[in-house]
Order: sequence, then C-alpha cells, then structure tokens
Amino acid sequence: MSVNELFNKFHEIASSPKEQLDTYLAQGKEVVACVPIYTPEEIIHSMGMVPFGAWGADMEVKEAKRYFPAFICSIMQSILELGMTGAYNGVSAIVIPSLCDSLKCLGQNWKYAVKDIPFIPMTYPQNRNNEVGKAFCRASYEKVIQDLEATTNTKFSEEALSNSIAVYNEHNKVMREFSEVCSKYSFISASQRSDVFKSAYFMLKEEHSSLLKQLLEEIKSMPKEETKKVKIVTSGILADSKSLLEIFDNNDMQIVADDIAHESRQYRIDITEKGSSLDALAEKFSNMENCSVLYDADKKRVEFILDLVKKHEAQGVVVLMTKFCDPEEFDLVPIMRACKEEGIQFVQIEVDRQMVNYEQAKTMIQTFKEML
Amino acid sequence: MSEQVQKPKYTPDPNSAKYKLNEITVKHYREVQEAKDRGEKIGWCASNFPQEIFQTLGIKVCYPENQAAAIAARGAGEKMCNVSEADGYSNDICAYARISLAYMKVKDAPEQNMPQPDFVLCCNNICNCMIKWYENIAKELNIPMILIDIPFNPDYEVSDSQVAYVKGQFLAAIKQLEEITGKKWSEKRFKEVMEISNRTSRAWLEATSYTKYTPSPLNGFDLLNHMAVAVCARGTIEAAEAFETLLEEYKQAVIDGTSTFRAEEKYRIMFEGIACWPHLRVTATGLKSRGINMVATIYADAFGFIYNDFDGLIRAYCNVPNAMNLEHARDKREAIIKKTSAEGLLVHTNRSCKLWSGFMYEMSRQIGEHCDIPVASFDGDQADPRNFSEAQYETRVQGLSEIMDANKEGK
Repeated sequence: MSVNELFNKFHEIASSPKEQLDTYLAQGKEVVACVPIYTPEEIIHSMGMVPFGAWGADMEVKEAKRYFPAFICSIMQSILELGMTGAYNGVSAIVIPSLCDSLKCLGQNWKYAVKDIPFIPMTYPQNRNNEVGKAFCRASYEKVIQDLEATTNTKFSEEALSNSIAVYNEHNKVMREFSEVCSKYSFISASQRSDVFKSAYFMLKEEHSSLLKQLLEEIKSMPKEETKKVKIVTSGILADSKSLLEIFDNNDMQIVADDIAHESRQYRIDITEKGSSLDALAEKFSNMENCSVLYDADKKRVEFILDLVKKHEAQGVVVLMTKFCDPEEFDLVPIMRACKEEGIQFVQIEVDRQMVNYEQAKTMIQTFKEML
Repeated sequence: MSEQVQKPKYTPDPNSAKYKLNEITVKHYREVQEAKDRGEKIGWCASNFPQEIFQTLGIKVCYPENQAAAIAARGAGEKMCNVSEADGYSNDICAYARISLAYMKVKDAPEQNMPQPDFVLCCNNICNCMIKWYENIAKELNIPMILIDIPFNPDYEVSDSQVAYVKGQFLAAIKQLEEITGKKWSEKRFKEVMEISNRTSRAWLEATSYTKYTPSPLNGFDLLNHMAVAVCARGTIEAAEAFETLLEEYKQAVIDGTSTFRAEEKYRIMFEGIACWPHLRVTATGLKSRGINMVATIYADAFGFIYNDFDGLIRAYCNVPNAMNLEHARDKREAIIKKTSAEGLLVHTNRSCKLWSGFMYEMSRQIGEHCDIPVASFDGDQADPRNFSEAQYETRVQGLSEIMDANKEGK
C-alpha cells in the first residue's frame, strides 16, 4: 500500500470503532473496554482478549446527565452515554481506573447505568516508586485478573503475559518512532498523525504495529524535506477532534511532539522483564512520570514539556485543555509560567467533547501563529 | 432626656462547650504561629491526613481547608478566588484550592491568617484534587511534600493489600518528617496520642449522635462550627474535654427539653455535602424559617476515627466517607437517616467537589427509595459565592418541605 492508502486505512479504523468492535466480536473474540488514562491492557491482551479503548466521543450527552452533574468532564460523560446507548454492546467488561476524581465517579455510576457490562476497577498507587507502592500495584493487577476471570471465559498465565509484554514493547517502539517521523516529515497532517494514535485503541497491538511498520517503511523511503510549517508541541488529555485538527492543518502547523495522554504518554515507558511478568508490569507503572494524573511533587512534567520543545525545535506549545479536567488545570499554571520564563510561545485552547463551534479556537490558533 | 439603655455585653460561659471549642480553634492558629516565630518548621496539612503522626512528633500544622472555609464564611471567598484565577487557575478548580493558592501568594487574609508552610502533608482519602493542589504549593514555595496516598476503595471492605500500602507510607512519612523537622518519634507518645484521639472521636461521635432525639437538642448547623476542632485538634486533651462537655450539655438539654434549634422542629432532614460557607446564613435561615432542622450529616462520621490498634488506625483512615464506594457510602447514610428519623434529604451539588457530587445523583436516588424519603438538591459551592442562587435554594427547600408535609399528613 502507498503512504496515502495506509493513512486512509488508519483513518478508516480511527473513524469506525463500532465496526472494529463488531469485527472482533464476529471473530469470536472477547473484548474488554479500557478507560483513560491507564489500564493494564497487557493483562487483558495476554488472556486472549482485545483491549479496546473507551475515551468517549464527540457527541451530545443526554442520558448520562441523569448520573453526572454538568461540571464533570465530557470524556466521562460521553463514555457513560456510549455505554447507556448501547455503543459497547458485546463488550465483556470495562476496566475503569481511579486516577482522578471524575474517574472514581464514572466507575460508581457505571454499575447502575450500564448494568450488562461489568465494571472492573483498577486502583493504581500514587506513591508508586517504592516497594509498598509496587506491591499494591501488583495486588491491584491480581484483583483485575480475578475479576476478568470471573466475568469472561479466560485464564491468566504469567507465560502469556510475558508474550504480551513483548507485543506491547514493540508497539511502544513503533509508536515512538512514528512520532519522531512526524517531526521530520511535514507532509504528515495533524489529522493523519491523530488517526494513527487513535486507531491504536481499536486494534490489537500486533496488528497496529504491523500496519504502522509498513507506513514507517514507506515514509522513510521518501526524501526528507525542509519543513516550512510552524512546529508545535501539543499537551493535554485528548487531541482527536477533527475540527480542531483541521484548524492546525489549515494554519500549516506541524505537531513535532506531544504530551497528550491519549497519544504519546501511553508509549513512553517499556516493560523490562526480570522475574515475574506481573512484577515487571508493576515496575513499569512505578517508572511512569510526567502526567497530570500521576503524583509529581517536583512537577517534572513541566521540564519534560520544555525539553520536548527544545529537542524538536518547536516554536510553541499548544495546550488543549479538556474542560473540567482539574488535574490538567492545576498543571497548566506552572507549565504556562515556565514557557513564559523560557520565552516559549504558549496558547491554551479549551476543548470539550460536546464542542460544536470552533470559531474561537480558530481565532486563537491564527493569533498564536501570527505571534510566532 | 431619656437615658440610652446599654445592652449588656454578651459574655460566654467559660465552662460552656461553645466557649471551650472556640478557644481551641483560636489557640490552634496561635500555637502554629508561635511555633513558626520560634523558628520551628510548620506544615500545611490536609484535613484527613493521619494527625497521629505530627501530634506524636510534636509538630505544629495548620489546615488550608479550614482556613479556606473560614475565609469564605467571612465573605472573602470571591476576592481570593479572583487572585488565583488571575494567575491562570480555572474557575472550575475547587474553590478551597483556589483560595489557598491565592493565600500562598498574597500571604495575608484578615478573615483568617496563618503562617506560611515549611512543608505540606497531603492525604487524598477525601479527593485526588488535594494532590494537585499540594503539588502546586510545594512547587511554588519549593518546600517538601509528603503524600500518604489512600486510594478510593472500589470494594466494600478495605483490603489487606491497601492496609499494607498505607501502613508503609505512614512509616515513611514519619521518617521524612523526622528528617525535615529534627524531631524524634516516640512509641510511648504515639500510644498516648492514639488514646486521646479515640477519646476525642468517641465524645464527638456521641455528642453528634444526639440529633437522634426528637426534638433534637441541637441545631445541626452547630456541628459545622464544631467540626473545625474535630479536624484540627483531635489528638489533644482539650478537644476531648470540650467534646465531653458538649456531650453533657446535649444530655442535659434532652432532659430539660431545650435545644439550640431556635424554632419549632417541624421537619428533620439529612443535609448532604460540604456546607455552602459563603451563604451559611441564607442556607441555615432557609431551613429554620420552615422549621426544618438538619439532624443528619455524614460530616460527623468524617472526622470521628475509632480504632484499637495501628492496623485499625490505618483502616479508619481508609474508611473515610469520600474514599468509599457507592454502596458503602449509601449504607452509612441510610443508617444515619434511620437512626435520626430524618424525613427528607437535601443535597448540595457542590461545584467545587467533583468526587462528592459526581455519583451523588445515583446515590441519593437509592437513599430516597430505600428510606422512603423525598430528595431535593440545589446547586452551590463550598467557598465560591458565585455558584449559588438563593432563589433556586428557596424553591428547592420549599418543594422538599411540601413533600415532607404531605408525607406527614398521609401517615
């Protein structure tokens, strides 16, 4: 397939999660929905099931309003709405972590709003990089395994987990490579970049890696080009709104790196296997950093974003602020200050899954570009 | 020429619980300031951080949540929120956090001052928002942060693995605090502090349980004032004695048939959620004018920690109301409603508190059905006055009282 054909394929998958879900179900596979920001997908995969991303959708929320007040973010609202309106029919269970206060509420509401899809909680430790934290993380994984075995027709084995870890490490590697390639080949649009990241949630990772490797090979055979676009780093929870990505593309903006939870934050850390695979998985979580929902007293995330800017010679930072996401709202202030101190251009655009009018965002991005 | 009649100056009885409790709060803030002035390291502390740690070590701390509530109740919530919003903090963020972050910057609020921290003690058993708030303080002031992570428990019971995790952090926090302050841990003192804390909690819980009497010997809103002592002085003899005095007063009031609820108690309700501090008078009057007394609240339980040993202490901190799953939280409330014969439930949908409000619609529906009582809710905020409408509050409370009235007539 050509580069365009491959990008079209990623676009097709990213745009049709329901078809992807139905295809896996038709193949007789069990599917488990995985809610942001992190879930132990490797465990689900190792048990022969398809971990399927559930990050909500750009839509009007109606039914979920019976459970959530208006000031809970639209990611939670739309996940519940999709569950209540049957979009996840056929899914064997949903894993919901409790990494922010709204996620805690989503899990509790899910039990009553979507009774036919069992809720499996995943409780991560915040004090994660020490022995008690790792032990608790492992115990939480064991509880997830126990819940998965109780609700699906599957069994867990350390050996299978070890194989899945290899699949996930490989996928991390190709995703990181793709992000780097996007910084070097400016013809890749923001929309195409997003399709690759988004489609990863609706495919088995080995399938996604395989398709992405083809794409990378095709792109790398092309001559490198001098970019004339404006290089930016994006930060936030989500950046998959087509209307918003179009504004980036229409304004010749090139995403050279991201700190988006739905994108690169997922692929930063690999799993190093030493001894038990489950311990290795807990070890991975203990090493995760630079994320608004992971305890970070030193706010290392701020430096991390500055480093991304420097490393990729970006001209500015665009924060896509999910409305009502307080972990991101708290981090915004130190990020904004640090950018100012370093002379890095910065803009914050409030985004929402129920957003229909992008005029304000368009004006802000145009103004931001002019300032650069 | 008529002589002007001077109203005698109100002098509270120094033996009364009200006087003692007020003195404890005043002394609490004074002592932290004195410690700071002596050059001791003092902390800012989350309301449900295990106070046994710093009480044992003899370290003074103050509570940004209490301070924010006091500032909001005394009318400066909006002013302080504006300061942090001007710095880039979204007005969607918890108003306690916005007030606290503003105070960290301006360092002066006549409504309630307290010294600046040398470290922060955080515990997220009430919400994860605490972590982000304290991270920002620690980063901004370049001071150490100690976090005891007590995760939201999705199960009904606290697991052994959670106890082990929290216990490990508890021990690590002691070491960190010893290093920061140079003070030394004493097992003997720890035992004493645990005993005192239990004594205080027992008196607090027993006193608050007196709302079970009809009529109640107290106006439920009194508890909102007394709660400050349950938060900031649980591990002190003075607090234990003051709550024991309060308990005696309630006992006597039941015998005498008196009450601090200065109206005829026509209806008894549970009030759900943090108080609407900037509109305390309006919310209290809206109830009292209709003869509605708040006799049930989860508040009391939130700051009463009863345990027998170290493991029990850890479990108690894992079992605070906001760390519980819906079923456990619901059952606790239903038990309180039954014990106090509450006839209605008034829910504060608190814009500042995503966790408290985020599954309250479903939980209050279930409570209403199981206890066969009407439920009404109103929109408000614990500290930002802009998120409350008096007209909506009045309408909702009126509606609730009408249903309670109809229920009484039907019975």
